[in-house]
Amino acid sequence: MMAQTAAAARPVPRGGRTALPAAAAPSGGRAPLAAILHPVSAAAPAARQETPDLQDLWDIGTDIGGTFTDIIAVHPGSGEARIAKVPSRPAEPVRAMLEAIAAVGLPPTAVRRFVHGTTRVTNALVEERLPAVALVATAGFEDVLEIGRYRRRELYRLDVPPKAPPLVPPALCFGLRERTEHDGSVSQALEEAELDRLLAWLADTGVRSVAVSLLHSYADPAHERLVAERLRAVVPYVSVSHEINPEAREYERASSTVFNAAAMPIAVAYLTELEERLPLGAGLQVFHSAGAMVPVPAAKRRPLVMAASGPAAGVSASARLARELGRPRVLTFDMGGTTTDVCLIVDGAAAMTDSRMIGGRPLRQPMLAVDSIGAGGGSIVTLGPGGLSVGPESAGSEPGPACYGRGGTRPTITDANAVLGYLDPEALLGDTIRLDVGAARRALAPIAEALGMGVEAAALGILSVANAAMARALRRVTVERGVDGRDCALLAFGGGGPMHAAGLADTYGLAEVIVPAASSAFSALGCLTADFAFLEQRTLRLRLDGLDAAGFAARIAGMEAAATAPLIANGVPAAGIETAHVALMRYAAQSEATPVPFAMPLDPAVLAADFHARHRQLYGYATAEPCVIEGVRVQARRPSGTGLVRPDAGRPPRPARTRRCLFAGAGTTMRALETAILPRERLAGPEGGNGDGGVAGPAIVEDAWSTVVVPPGWRARGDAAGNLFLTRSAA
Amino acid sequence: MSLRPDTPLDGPAGAPMGAPADAGALDPFVVEVIRHGLSAAAEEMSLVMTRSARSPLLREAGDLSSAITDAEGGLVGQGKDIPVHLGAMAYTVRELLKVCPAATLREGDSLIYNLGALGGNHLNDVKVARPVFVEGRLVAFALSLAHWPDVGGTWPGSYLAAAVDTFQEAIRIPPVPITLADELNRPVLDFILHNVRDPVSCEGDLLAQIAATRAAERRIRELCGRHGTGVFVAAMARLHDLSEAEMRAAIRGIPDGVYEGEDFLDDGNADGSPARIHARIEIRGDEAVIDLSGSADRVTNFCNTTPFIARSAAAYAARIMSGREMQQNAGALRPLTIVTRPGSMLEPGWKAPVAAGNHETSMRVVDAMFRAMERVIPERLSAGGPATSGLLAFAEPLPDGGWRMLYEVHAGGEGARHDRDGCPAVRVHLTNTSNTPAEVIEANYAIRVERQSVRRGSGGAGRHRGGDGIVRAYRVLAETMWLTTCVERTRIPPFGLARGAPGAPFRIVLERDGEARELPGKANLLLRRGDLVTLEGSGGGGYGAPEGIHGDAHGDARGAGARGPA
Repeated sequence: MMAQTAAAARPVPRGGRTALPAAAAPSGGRAPLAAILHPVSAAAPAARQETPDLQDLWDIGTDIGGTFTDIIAVHPGSGEARIAKVPSRPAEPVRAMLEAIAAVGLPPTAVRRFVHGTTRVTNALVEERLPAVALVATAGFEDVLEIGRYRRRELYRLDVPPKAPPLVPPALCFGLRERTEHDGSVSQALEEAELDRLLAWLADTGVRSVAVSLLHSYADPAHERLVAERLRAVVPYVSVSHEINPEAREYERASSTVFNAAAMPIAVAYLTELEERLPLGAGLQVFHSAGAMVPVPAAKRRPLVMAASGPAAGVSASARLARELGRPRVLTFDMGGTTTDVCLIVDGAAAMTDSRMIGGRPLRQPMLAVDSIGAGGGSIVTLGPGGLSVGPESAGSEPGPACYGRGGTRPTITDANAVLGYLDPEALLGDTIRLDVGAARRALAPIAEALGMGVEAAALGILSVANAAMARALRRVTVERGVDGRDCALLAFGGGGPMHAAGLADTYGLAEVIVPAASSAFSALGCLTADFAFLEQRTLRLRLDGLDAAGFAARIAGMEAAATAPLIANGVPAAGIETAHVALMRYAAQSEATPVPFAMPLDPAVLAADFHARHRQLYGYATAEPCVIEGVRVQARRPSGTGLVRPDAGRPPRPARTRRCLFAGAGTTMRALETAILPRERLAGPEGGNGDGGVAGPAIVEDAWSTVVVPPGWRARGDAAGNLFLTRSAA
Repeated sequence: MSLRPDTPLDGPAGAPMGAPADAGALDPFVVEVIRHGLSAAAEEMSLVMTRSARSPLLREAGDLSSAITDAEGGLVGQGKDIPVHLGAMAYTVRELLKVCPAATLREGDSLIYNLGALGGNHLNDVKVARPVFVEGRLVAFALSLAHWPDVGGTWPGSYLAAAVDTFQEAIRIPPVPITLADELNRPVLDFILHNVRDPVSCEGDLLAQIAATRAAERRIRELCGRHGTGVFVAAMARLHDLSEAEMRAAIRGIPDGVYEGEDFLDDGNADGSPARIHARIEIRGDEAVIDLSGSADRVTNFCNTTPFIARSAAAYAARIMSGREMQQNAGALRPLTIVTRPGSMLEPGWKAPVAAGNHETSMRVVDAMFRAMERVIPERLSAGGPATSGLLAFAEPLPDGGWRMLYEVHAGGEGARHDRDGCPAVRVHLTNTSNTPAEVIEANYAIRVERQSVRRGSGGAGRHRGGDGIVRAYRVLAETMWLTTCVERTRIPPFGLARGAPGAPFRIVLERDGEARELPGKANLLLRRGDLVTLEGSGGGGYGAPEGIHGDAHGDARGAGARGPA
């Protein structure tokens, strides 16, 4: 349950409102729940090595959520892994990171590599606690953010503002007299006097972070470069659109560039402090939203790559596990307190997207295609005349679900789980606070009464509605990529994922659920197991027939060099770098491009055939129209040396026992069953526990950090690496 | 096929929809799960369309809608698309079934049509309807609507302002199978492609529509497989009932009485004077009669519309006035009796030209209903906004005889509300289509967008100000360019509410050889190289008397408007 709140601050990308939990209470006040239940010292017994041998260095991954920071430390030599969870400190992020290192019993000097994923940038963007930014646009287009695309967010509501206001107010938008055309030609030169006019204006504003997004700069960035050069001499933070989003569409490109400019002062400040307090050089890395790591200097220049880096890290670890387990199609299911993140992995590679909405504004950059929905363990359940709905409002960590006994009275998904007996009333809430099942029942009672049913039946119903909402997210991420989701295995992690996974699998028709060994710190682990990689993307707009092969090869070579250079600069030997190429393909009359991998030297016939096949797979048809290479992505990467590990839970397992739990029966019936409660360690091992293929549901498998529900009709078995596999029983 | 006011399309009690179901046995959670499934299926249809269609109008502007209906044609699931489409789609399958009875439909067939008489709106909006069978039983329809950038007729783009009948407007497609046993019906496709000006884009768009309905079929079958076909059908009936109950409760919250309001199109009467739209709303308990009979006779331009569009607009306005969240489906219509008068511009007969009425006249129905209710429930309404498509359609003749067409809609400032300023540069009410990015226009058309700005100060004054409109200027780079304008609110500005001031009206200016002249809101004309067409989108109406806000304070008020409520 703890990690449910740990992920609580992730944004809901498309919804208008985002419920954000209160920040973790300072240590002087009421401590956050997890700190009460699992004091930091529990994961860091003093007996552990306090003064390590200088050669005895560790790799550390952390996932810094809005409320909690998950950390995993891996010792490369022995393979030992430790995990812990500490409160995040939104005001002092670096201090929280150092505390996290202490929580796994290590001094900063024992760290070789420190990779972190963080919601810090995303949260700042969503909450709009941002430093002032100025926008420089081509004269006549300086209102681009206010105009946007005209669309309103809600079709049938007048009570909410139809659009998000611009991140840059009109007074801070500057129209620069210059113009580049779509073919890269210059129709109005950028005069020196105009640059002077800009600098004089900027000095008056006092703004220190500037976004530059000139018309058609993706076709030729010369003017943007000129402007940037002059700006960098007078302000510390400059973001230029041809670097952030080198694609046509002036609004989306400007919006993305402004996001970067807004994030820059925040990111630079804390990354600089981190560099000072944890001077690891190239070993200090940031996880980025495209599913790889970048060194800190690159993240400072382009902090936008950290947007949604936490969810991306979990997906990255999932991709690694999918490869190792040989599962061709996997859906990730990362359920936190406020949101649930899902992503599709095909053949070991996570699906990518190039756009996302943050707070109602578009962000375009290559990212893992993580879809977030506003339903998590703390999501509040409401019964309106139109039906029952779950979220997006959340009880957060304060007051939290009613069953936490901390003042919450409105029903949540977690309360439904409590009513059904899935949460351990003794162990979970430790010595000080007991899980208050009565409070959960009271919270659910009004809904049950309105529907004319018992509280237990209402709880089961609530889970079925939550599952339907989550199934819809699974549907979206698979449909967009032409995959039948029912062929996938469901990989569940985060605080709530393992508890809900089998129910969701039943709803969606999935045959297998995998709960990875480090399920509660899986995103932190993902920071370590991901590749070290850089991505270059360019707009080319080349007709495939009659393609100038030599010219194309030269452009690709240039992109490879650009993608490889930062790796080499960070000490990666050139021989250890792999490159991958993806063409963004479309029919001449289309606008959305379809990513299609290709090999160099390019065989246009093969690329065309692959595109037609992919288009048919995605949309059900292909045509003989001419094809266009809209753009190309080149990724250079060095595979990670760290493998998936099985962490030491840090506390002794509790003995097996039984408890009465409620499960759905046939149709709309309900069954109360005496359910085995097993420590997860019992199922780990090559034989899968008892040597009989595991344990049959109903069962609940627990470890220190998570609860896995195995409903009747399902079996759970473990493997030597500590992963759990849930499948439907043959019988 | 005339519709008389004494036989309204929607009886107060509504026709029973879906198979009879034992309502008591239906698990409310299963209903909710199926509701999710239906919405997801409709959203998936729109996703397939926008990602794979050809025309910028579909892929950039999103002028398309997707819906699922029950076996009788009652709308049960819809995407987040265009309200005016979705409202009319409540009739598109129901009317189809009157001429193509269910017994004649077969699995794998899908029908293409665009006739006004079949729950239609204008000929550009081409529908593909696919009956969905599960184990041989017809359970639902998947319905895809897309605005084709050209469907033939007199003028490229198929908008002829001075059309005297529908035959001048476009090709008329009665329901014909576009797939048979799930195979493309090539002769029908060819027939259509030979009658449109951009057959390549058109084919891609139509294939995308077919693919969208196929995707929905797959999802509906999955839902039936999981929950049982009987439960699925019963759940659809329940969803109608839930929305009906919600709408009835909303109407009960409005005092009984008769409320009247009117608004005007810029012109359209035979003498060129503004054509009136009149709404008489009678609230009786939990039912409402919306009588639009007092509206003007058939107009002399293309602003006539079909009774389905009048109903779509009235249903939208009723939904807004309800102030409640509800699933928009056929059940929500049951407590509403919507009346139109034969011979009026809202029921002009099936041979009248209707291209523009779809998005112009429909908006005026909403406005007239708002005016009717403004004293009763002002807090649920907003002042007048850019209630027009704001359309400029550019068509460039190509050397090979083909055309390159750009269909550009324009926003304006939202009307203010009782508690906040209007938002700048947004679409309102029945439409929600987007602009096309300047960078996309310039890379694909012989047009340069010289500027796109907020039209500062265009919002009406008030205790809360109307949002500001926009300005967009197009330079013609081709030898010739055929232009269609279809813009209302050029003479009669967006109204203020509760003594707020009106916003600035729309304005279109053509600059040629150094001379500027204002263009009519509804016209077809030829442009030539170097012409500059500038469109100024309306400002929103203000709300409440502007107490003591004068002079420089306007700037502050506008700033607050841009930021939304504090």
